[in-house]
Order: sequence, then C-alpha cells, then structure tokens
Amino acid sequence: MLRYLIKRILIFIPTLLVISLLAFGLSKLAPGDPVELINRGGSLGGVEQSLPDADRIYQETAERLGLNKPSFYLALSSVAYPDTLYRFLRRDHRENLSKLTAQYGNWPAIEAYYHRIRQIDLALDSLKERPTAIRNVRPQLKLLYLSYRDQRINSLIDQVEAGIAADSVLQAQLGPETAQLRSDYETIKEKATPCLLYIPDIKWYGLDNQYHQWLSAFLSLDFGRSYIDGRPVADKMADALRWTIVINLAAIFFAYLIAIPLGVFSAIWKDSAFDRSSTLILFVLYSLPNFWIATMLVVFFTTPEYGMDWFPSLGVGNLPADAPFGQRLLDAAEHLILPVFCLSYGALAFISRQVRGGMLNVIRQDYIRTAWAKGLDARQVIWKHAFANALFPIITMFATLFPAVFAGSVVIEYIFNIPGMGGLTVGAIFQRDWPVVYTILMLAAVLTMAGILIADLLYALVDPRVSYNNSNKP
Amino acid sequence: MLIGVKKEQEIAAQLSTGKGKGQSYWSVVRQQFRKNRMAVWALRLLYVLLFVALTGDFIANEKPLYCQLEGETHFPVFRSYLVSVGLADWEAKFFQTPWHEHDYETAVWPPVPFSASTLDISNANYAAPGAVREVGDYTFTHWLGTDELGRDVLAGLISGTRIAMLVGIVAMAIATLIGGILGALGGYFGDERFKLSRARLWLNLLGLPLAYFYGFGSRSFALREGPLFTELLISLGIIFGLFALLNAMASLLKRVPVLGKEVRIPLDLTVMRLIEIFNSIPALLLILSIVAIIEEKSIFYIMAIIGLIRWTGIARFMRAELLRVRSLEYIEAAQALGYSEWRTLFRHAMPNALTPVLITVAFGIASAILLEAFLSFLGIGVPPDEVTWGSMLNGSRSKASAWWLAVFPGFAIFLTVTIFNLLGEGLTDALDPRRKQ
Repeated sequence: MLRYLIKRILIFIPTLLVISLLAFGLSKLAPGDPVELINRGGSLGGVEQSLPDADRIYQETAERLGLNKPSFYLALSSVAYPDTLYRFLRRDHRENLSKLTAQYGNWPAIEAYYHRIRQIDLALDSLKERPTAIRNVRPQLKLLYLSYRDQRINSLIDQVEAGIAADSVLQAQLGPETAQLRSDYETIKEKATPCLLYIPDIKWYGLDNQYHQWLSAFLSLDFGRSYIDGRPVADKMADALRWTIVINLAAIFFAYLIAIPLGVFSAIWKDSAFDRSSTLILFVLYSLPNFWIATMLVVFFTTPEYGMDWFPSLGVGNLPADAPFGQRLLDAAEHLILPVFCLSYGALAFISRQVRGGMLNVIRQDYIRTAWAKGLDARQVIWKHAFANALFPIITMFATLFPAVFAGSVVIEYIFNIPGMGGLTVGAIFQRDWPVVYTILMLAAVLTMAGILIADLLYALVDPRVSYNNSNKP
Repeated sequence: MLIGVKKEQEIAAQLSTGKGKGQSYWSVVRQQFRKNRMAVWALRLLYVLLFVALTGDFIANEKPLYCQLEGETHFPVFRSYLVSVGLADWEAKFFQTPWHEHDYETAVWPPVPFSASTLDISNANYAAPGAVREVGDYTFTHWLGTDELGRDVLAGLISGTRIAMLVGIVAMAIATLIGGILGALGGYFGDERFKLSRARLWLNLLGLPLAYFYGFGSRSFALREGPLFTELLISLGIIFGLFALLNAMASLLKRVPVLGKEVRIPLDLTVMRLIEIFNSIPALLLILSIVAIIEEKSIFYIMAIIGLIRWTGIARFMRAELLRVRSLEYIEAAQALGYSEWRTLFRHAMPNALTPVLITVAFGIASAILLEAFLSFLGIGVPPDEVTWGSMLNGSRSKASAWWLAVFPGFAIFLTVTIFNLLGEGLTDALDPRRKQ
C-alpha cells in the first residue's frame, strides 16, 4: 500500500512539470508586456518622463519581476542569434530585434543599428529647446524600434531625416547621426548572412532563469504577486476560495442528498413508472447546459421584468462585516440559492445514475436474496446490505466530482458574479495576470490528481479485495 | 470495412434472435439501434440539424433567392457562392444599396429573409419576436426577435447551427485521429512488441528538435511574412524530408552491431502516461488561457485546441479494443501470413476497433459543442462579429427583458447536446450489448 502510494505520488511530478511548462510557455507566448501592465497601473497617466528615467523605472520593474533573466534553462536557436538577447529588457524591442535577425541573420550590424536609433533618441530627449521640431521627429523614431519590414523602415528613416533637416539646430546636432543611421541599416542588408540561420546552436543559460526562479518559488509555496493590484496571489486565492468552497460543498451535499435515495429507489423499483420517469428527467437535467439555465434564472428570477423577482440580484450581498452574523448568513444564503442549484443539478443526475447502476449490480446478488429470504425488513435489506455494497462507485465519484464541480463553478460564478475562484480565474486570464493563472492551473491539476488518487485509495479501503501491492492497474 | 468474423459471430450469438446467424454486422447493429426509440428520434433530428447546417444560406439570407431588378433576372444567393470562389462579381448597385431596399419587380425571399449579420436598423435594440421591418409587410418578420444591433435571432440560430456542427465534427475528427492512433499503438504493441534499432531510435529522437529548428525556427521570417499556407506546406515538406533522411541513415547504420541492437519501446506505458497527464490538466482552464492569448480570433483555433486536448477518451477506448482484438485469431492469421505489423494494425486490427469508438465520438461531439458555446458565451475565442449560439445567449445578459435571447439559443444548444448524448446512448446499446446490463 505504502509503496503504491509513493509510486502514485511520484507520477505527480512529471505531470506537474508538464503543466508548469505549459503554463509558463503560454505566458511567454501571450502578447502584452507585464512590465508595461504594472507601470501603467502605478504611474500617473500623462506625466512625461525623460527617457533615462523611464528606462530606469522599466528596468526596476523588470528586475523585480525577474524578467531580466533568460526565460529557460536552454534555448534552441541558430548561431545568428546572440545568446544575450534577453538583456534587451523591453519586450517589444527585443522581439523586433529578433525578427530582424530572423530576416538578415547578421546580429552585429543589427545591434549597431539599434544602438544608433537609441543614440538619436537619447539626444532628442536631452534637447529641450526645439519642442515642436522634436515632436515631429520623435514618434517616427519610436516606431523604428518596432519595425522590421524593409519598406516601412525606409519610409520611417526618410521621415526622420526630413524632420531633422527641417530644423537647423537639429540638423546641426543630429544630421550626421541620421546619415549614419541610414548607412547602418544599409549595412544590415548588404552584409546579410541568412545562411547562419540554418546552423543550429543550443544556448545554455544555467539555473539562473525565469522558469527555475518561478518554479522554485512555487514549490516553496510562494505564489508571487498579482500583476494587477500587487497583492500576494495566495491572499487573493484565499479570499476567492472561501466562496468557491462554500458553494461547491453545498452543491455536492444537496446533489448527494437527493441523488442517493433517487438512485436507490429507482433501482429497487426497476422499470416502474417512477424509474422510467426519473431516468428521463435525470437525462434531460444532465444534458441541460448549466450556463444556459443560470442565464435563464438570472433573466427571469432576479429582475423585475417578468414579475418574478424572487431572488436578490447578482453578487453575494453587501451587508457590512459588523452586521449580525445571522443576518449575514441569511443574506448570503439567499444569494447562493440559485448558483448552488445550477451547480448541483448536473451532478445530481450523474450521481443518481451511478447509484442506480451500482444498486442494480448488487441487488441481483445471492446474498441479497438470502437477506430477503431471512425475512429481514425492507429497510435493512436495502440500506444495510445492498446500499453498503453499492457505495463503491459513489465514493470514487466524490473524489473525481470535486475537481469537475470546481471547473463547472467557473461558469456559474462568472454568471452570478460571485467573487470566487471562477471569477478570479476568468478575470486573471482576461487581464493576463500570469502569476494568478499559473497558480490556479497548477493547483487545479494537483487537485485533480489528488482526487483520482484519493478515489483509488478509498476504493481499496471500501473493498478489501482490491489490492495495490502487485502491478495490477486499478 | 473489414470486420472480424469472430466478433460478428459473438454478437450474433449474443443477440440470439434466431435469425442472427446469416446477418451482417451492420444489420445487427441497425436492428439493435432501432429498438431504442429515443436514439432513433435523435438520429432523425440530427439529420434535420445537418440539413440546416448545410443549406443555411438558402434558409436564412438577406439576399433574395430569385429576383427581377430593372428587367434583369438574378439569383443572388447562388451567385454569392460563385463570388466567394472568385468566379463572379457583384454589380455596383448591389454594393451601394442594401439588399432589402431595392425596388424589385418580383422577388422570392428565403424563408428567413435576414442573414445572421444583417443589421435591421428599424428593429435595433431588442425588438420582440414578431416585429416586422415595415408595418403591414409580413415578409420581413423577425419571428424570434432581434438583438441589440437589430440582428435577427432566427437567422443567427441557423448560422449558429453550422458553426456548432463544424466545431463538434472537426474537433472530434482531430481528437479521433490523435486518440485513435495513439490508443491503437499502445494497445496493439503493448510494452513488449515494439522494437527499434538503437540507430533509428536515437536518430528519430534527434530529429524532433531538428525538425522544429529547420521547419519553424529558421523559417520564422518566411512563415510570418509569406503566404501562411504555402510556407507551412514548405515547412512540413522540410520536416518530412528530414525524417526520411534520418531514417534512411538509420537503415544504413543498423548494420553496425552496436547501433543495430534492438531496443524495446514500452509504447503502452508511454501512451498511458500521456493520457494520465492530459487527464490531470484542468482542460477548461487550459483552453480558456490558450484561447484568451490568441490575438487573431477564429473558430478554427477553438476546434484545433479542443481536438488536441480531448483525445484521451478515444485513446483509452481504442487501446482497450485493440488489447482485445490483437489476441483474436484472424490477427494471428494475418501475422502468420507474414503481413507487416503496420499493415496488420492499420488494415486489419484498427478498422475492427473503430466502431465502438463511435460511442466516444458521439459523446465527444456533444461536449465539444458545449465547450464552444461556453467559450463564445464568455466572448473569447470567436470573432465579435461572428454570431454563434453562445454569443447570442451572452447578449441576453445585458438586457433582461429580451427573454428570446435567453431562451432560443440556449434551447438550441440543449437540443444539440441532447441529440448527441442520446445517439451515444443508442450506439452503446447497439454496438456493445455487454456493456448494457
């Protein structure tokens, strides 16, 4: 048993690694720059910062997030790329440099060209006396950082040149630089070495990388801070988890409460009118998409449009925290009736079908016939002898049900505006709040695997015939 | 389709209807399937849905089917097909004036004279079912109402049918391809029977990063700037060529004793682990996060992603079937005849295992449709101008009094999902009587 347990837990490791790689890879592929996201939230909008200042702030934020490190242990690319590309902190600049390299393959010339743009940019930044002329040139220059198509670059350089030539002071200071910029770009094209792109090269970055940093923090249960509001992810999750656990447990509880007698009795009275109608109804319930039902309930029962405004509107109520506990409980309960209903009916149908199947299996056994023959009363036969043995699928289901309901509550929480994990997840995904998304993905995976494992273990506890000591697969 | 004689007899014997002996497998299946009345009705409804999906352009369209305008005869709906493949053009007048506003001499309209994206300005802002475009003219009636922009709900439902069917079928086709092949490999070869020479194993493993590098890494500029489809084909050609080359090399290197040593590959274990890993991934969350980061929204990405994640059920089924099939006599016969392992697997063993997989496919289509509806309900993944059942349902959240937006699209989703679930149940009964108690 213990060996089996250890073996199963060891399988967790590759699975979690795969999921962590998926989550991490996704966050790297996702468009948008987290540094910009945070800085935009923090700084006052519209305040003009000087270029070195802006760079310093950017760099500080990037360092705080660990984005100044290479992303992974190693990278497979060609010899045309430098292995220090990650040191270009700005994501949009870096990606443009990489696109240029993919096109021409001669990094030194491209780097020289980039530094030339920067030089002109810095010079324009420090020149204070010609604001209008600078305002004409600067946007084009900024666009040069982000352009890689030949035609576009040429036209931008033309515009920059024309803008600088139009002003005598600028022309005196930056004329030669601009000419240099053009010749730098010409060099890239003339000395292009695209053949370098076909020589593979593995770049090794060692342990000091973003993935390693994140994963080791994660394993020591430090989930990082949200990009959006800077709060620790663990805090945000703890707040959200409260609601999710409440509605999930309530939903599963009610589902079992109704499903077990329903399943048991429809198995006992097999093919009766009760059995047939309950089977049909449960089948329909099972097929009803819960986001449709939830939407309908919201439309019909929480608005005054149809004269059926029986339930409070969305959310979880907003009584102050110092209101009497009973009142708060009542308020929350009123808000949670509909969501809990939406979550439980699908599970109810599923559980009840399983219970029915399990009972049908058991009821045909000899020992049940014996029990009847002994003259035991119906209650004893059904609940003590039959049901106890039909518990099997019900128990395994509980463990697998929890992750399923958890996922299902994403929808319901979103529709009913409940500040639980569902709302947190959807919000985090929409806002690209990666620390939150990573954590939720990983924890959900752990939950799923733990659920399956617990189900298997319970299986063995309930049924002594099941043994995990040999290599038989459960 | 090749059907194992043994299985045919097995099922026929099990049914023991007396006349079972001389019947073909399919007629037995059909006969069993017909016993389940609900499933038969589901199948009929499925035909209706498929019909609507295929002929949606003729049922709901803002263009007339036939019209006479300024003395000329036009068949605009047919013509739009020609236009879309580049064989015809619209005259300027059709661009300048909306279709509904020409003074036709005669016009035959489709039953629903609106396209899903037609904006009926006069009925914008949630017109109730039965609203007409002009007073007294019942040709242009919104039988199921309109949404905020004045788009007809019924037309939206009809075009949504096509999208839902497409998503369900394409996603499951991808899943069946992946799951079928992986499951078949695992089940047929097991852990013992698949052997490779060391040279081939190592060269193929080396081929994976090289394929990525030459197929995509080096060609990233061409792939980004060139025509995507052609460039992708070239990339795939490069990858194929690379593997062909490596395997040719392996065939030569095999002669070297050290490299030629055969290694046993535990295929079954690998496939099972892979399934386990995929099953532990919180699929909904993963799909949500993948779809949310794709900038260029398209329904095809959703299909591909659903297919790539939802193959595990099919793989399990296929594996279990092949574990059974591979020990049947006719497979042994095929091996005794000296057929190659691959031929035996793909020509003889796999077709026999495919039919039971249909069950998983039916349920899979239901869940793929549900998932797509949910994603468009959240408003991610599908382009905002695309009308799907999910996006229409979402429209009802901003206007509670528009009950038609909550009821009809949701009912369409429910109906479709139920049809496929019922079909799955019916197929379970018909294909595998043993599963049924």
